[in-house]
Amino acid sequence: MPKFLRLIIAKSVMLLEGAIVYSNLIALLSLGLTITYITTSVPNFAHGTIAVFGSYLALIFLYFLNIHPYIAIPIVFLLCGLVGTLCYSLVLRPLIKRGASVVILMIATLALDLILLGFIGSLSDTIERITSKSAKKFIFAIYDFEISGISGILFVSTASMISILVILWLLLFKTKFGIALRASMENPALAEVMGIDVEKTRIFSWFLSSSLAGLAGTLLPFKQEIVPLTGSLIIVSIFSASIVGGLASIAGAIFGGYLIGMSESLATYGLSMIFGPEILLYSKVIPLTALIIVLLLMPQGIVEGLRKWIKFFST
Amino acid sequence: MDQILLNIVFWFGIYAIVSISLNIEYGLAGIPNFGRALAVLFGAFTVGGIVNRFFIAIYGIEGEIIDSSAVLKTILNQKIAEDPSFGILLLLLYISLAAAVGAIIGALAILPSARLSRDYLAITLLAISEVFFMVFNYNTTLGGGYYGISVPDVFAFYSGNRQLLFAILSLLILVLIYILAERLSNSPFGRLLRAMREDEDVVKAFGRNLMILRIKTSAIASSIAAISGALFSLFTANFIASNFTRVEWTFYPFLILLLGGSGNNKGVLLGTLVFVTVKQLLTVYKHEIVEFFMIPFQTVWIEYIAFGSLMLFVLFYRPEGLIKERPVITRRVKYGKGPVVNPK
Repeated sequence: MPKFLRLIIAKSVMLLEGAIVYSNLIALLSLGLTITYITTSVPNFAHGTIAVFGSYLALIFLYFLNIHPYIAIPIVFLLCGLVGTLCYSLVLRPLIKRGASVVILMIATLALDLILLGFIGSLSDTIERITSKSAKKFIFAIYDFEISGISGILFVSTASMISILVILWLLLFKTKFGIALRASMENPALAEVMGIDVEKTRIFSWFLSSSLAGLAGTLLPFKQEIVPLTGSLIIVSIFSASIVGGLASIAGAIFGGYLIGMSESLATYGLSMIFGPEILLYSKVIPLTALIIVLLLMPQGIVEGLRKWIKFFST
Repeated sequence: MDQILLNIVFWFGIYAIVSISLNIEYGLAGIPNFGRALAVLFGAFTVGGIVNRFFIAIYGIEGEIIDSSAVLKTILNQKIAEDPSFGILLLLLYISLAAAVGAIIGALAILPSARLSRDYLAITLLAISEVFFMVFNYNTTLGGGYYGISVPDVFAFYSGNRQLLFAILSLLILVLIYILAERLSNSPFGRLLRAMREDEDVVKAFGRNLMILRIKTSAIASSIAAISGALFSLFTANFIASNFTRVEWTFYPFLILLLGGSGNNKGVLLGTLVFVTVKQLLTVYKHEIVEFFMIPFQTVWIEYIAFGSLMLFVLFYRPEGLIKERPVITRRVKYGKGPVVNPK
C-alpha cells in the first residue's frame, strides 16, 4: 500500500474514532436531559455542569485514592445521581408544589448551575493547592489504554452506551416500575388516578438523568480538556441534540445526540481543512446552526417533523 | 471610601439599565431571555469593534485591529482633550449606535424561536448568547479576542476624577431610560405585553401576532441592554469579550429583577441597589475575607455560591420580590375637567 494512502486511512480512523466517542457522550447527555424534561417538563440548565462535576469527582478519585477513572465509573455514577436527586427533591419539587411556572423552574436550574459551578471552582482551586497537580485544566488521555492503535475510550464509551440502552430498555419495557414510569411520562394525571406514585418516578428520573451525566462526565476528559466552565459551553451541544431529535422523545434524544456529535466533529474538521485550524475553536457554531435550522423548519424535532412532512406530501 | 461609593454609583447605573431592559422583556412580556448578555456584548462591541473601525478607515491607520485601535486611541484622546465638544459628540454617537445595533441583534436572536413556547425561547437565546460569547472570546481579528481592543476616553478633556463623570453619566442615562420604561409599561403597548405574559391565547384571540410582539419587545429591551454594554466599554476604555459572561450579564440581572420585584421598575432599582452594594463590598474586602476564613480558593467561587443561593432563597420565600407589582394606573378624562387618576 502506498504511504500516503496508509496515512489517509490512519488519519480518517483517528477522526472517526474521535467523532464516535464524542457522539456517544453527547447522546448520553441528551438522553439524560430528555428524561427529566419528559417527567418534570423542566429543561435542566445545570445538566452540563453536573457532568463536569462528575469529571472532577473522577479527578479526585484519581489524585487522592489512585483509582483509575474507568474503575471509578460506578461510584461517580451513584454520587452524581445523588446530586441530581438532591437538586430535585430539595429545590425543584418544593417549587413545583408551590405552583411555580416553567420559567421559574428554569431560573432555579440556572441558580443550581451557578452554585454547582462555584463548588466545582473551589474544588479545583483546593485540589491544585493540596496536590500541586493541575486541576483547573486537566485531561485523562494519558491514563487511557490502547488496543491495536485504537484508544480505549472508544470501547468504553460505546460499551457504556450500549449497556445503558439495554438496561433502559429492560427497565422500561420488562418491569412493572418501567410501565409506571412510561405511564407517568405520557400522562401524569391519568397515571396518578391509576394509583401510580408519580413523585417516585420523577425522583427516579432525576437520579437516572444526573447519573448518566456523571458517567459522561467521567469519560469526557479522555476526549477533551476540562475546565470548571466546560459545562456551560457543552450545554449548547446537549440542548441542540435534544431539540434536534425532539425534546419529548427518548429515541429522538439518542438520534439527535449522534447527529449533533457526528456533525459537530466532522463538519468542524471539514471546515478546518478549508479555512485553517483556528476553525476548530468555533466548533459550537455547528450545533447552534443545526438547532436554529430545526427550530425554523420542524420545531418538534427531526423524527416527528419528517413523519409530518411525509404525511403532508403523501396526501 | 469615596472611590467605593463612586464605584457603587456607577455599577448601580449600569446594572439598573440592564435590569430595566430585562424587566421589559421578562417582567412585562414574560419572555425568558436567558441570553441577555448577548445584547450587552454587542453594545460593547459597537464601541470597540464598529465605531473604531470607522475611524480607523477615516484616518487610514494600517495594521491589525488590536494595534490600529491603540494608535487610534492616542489620536482621538488628543483630539478630545483639545475639543471637549468632539468628545461629547463621540459619546452620543457611541450610545445611539450601540442602541441601534442592540435592537437589530435582539430582533434577530429571538427570530428562530419567536413562535415557540417559553422553554424553547430560553434554551435558544441562551445557546446563541453562549456561542457568540465563545466566538468573540477566541477570535482576535473580530474584536481583539482575549487581548481586547482599546477604546478612546470620551472624557479625555477632563483631568480630574473620570470615575465621577462616569458615575454621573450612568445615572443620567438611567434616569432617561427609567422614564422611558415607566411610560412604556403604562402605555397600551405595555398593557398588551402584560396580557401576553398572563395568557398568550387571549392575546392571540384578540388578533395580535405573538411573534411580532415578541420581536418588537426583544428589540426594544436589547437596545437598552446594549447601551449599558457601551457604557461599560467606555468606562473601562477597552473592549474585552471575556467581560461579558453569562453569570454577570444574564444571571445577575435576573437575580436583581426577581429580588426587587419582577414587573415593576421601582423594585428593579431597589434590587439593583442591594445587589450592587453587596457585590462591591465583596470585591473590596475579598482579601480580608480570604484571610479571615482561611479559604484555599478564589472569592469569585464563593460569590457564585452565595448569589446562586440568594436566587433560590428569593424563589422560595419572596417570589414576588421586595416590592410587589401593582396594578397599572390609567388616566381617564372627565368632561370639562383635567385628567383624573383612576385607582383601579
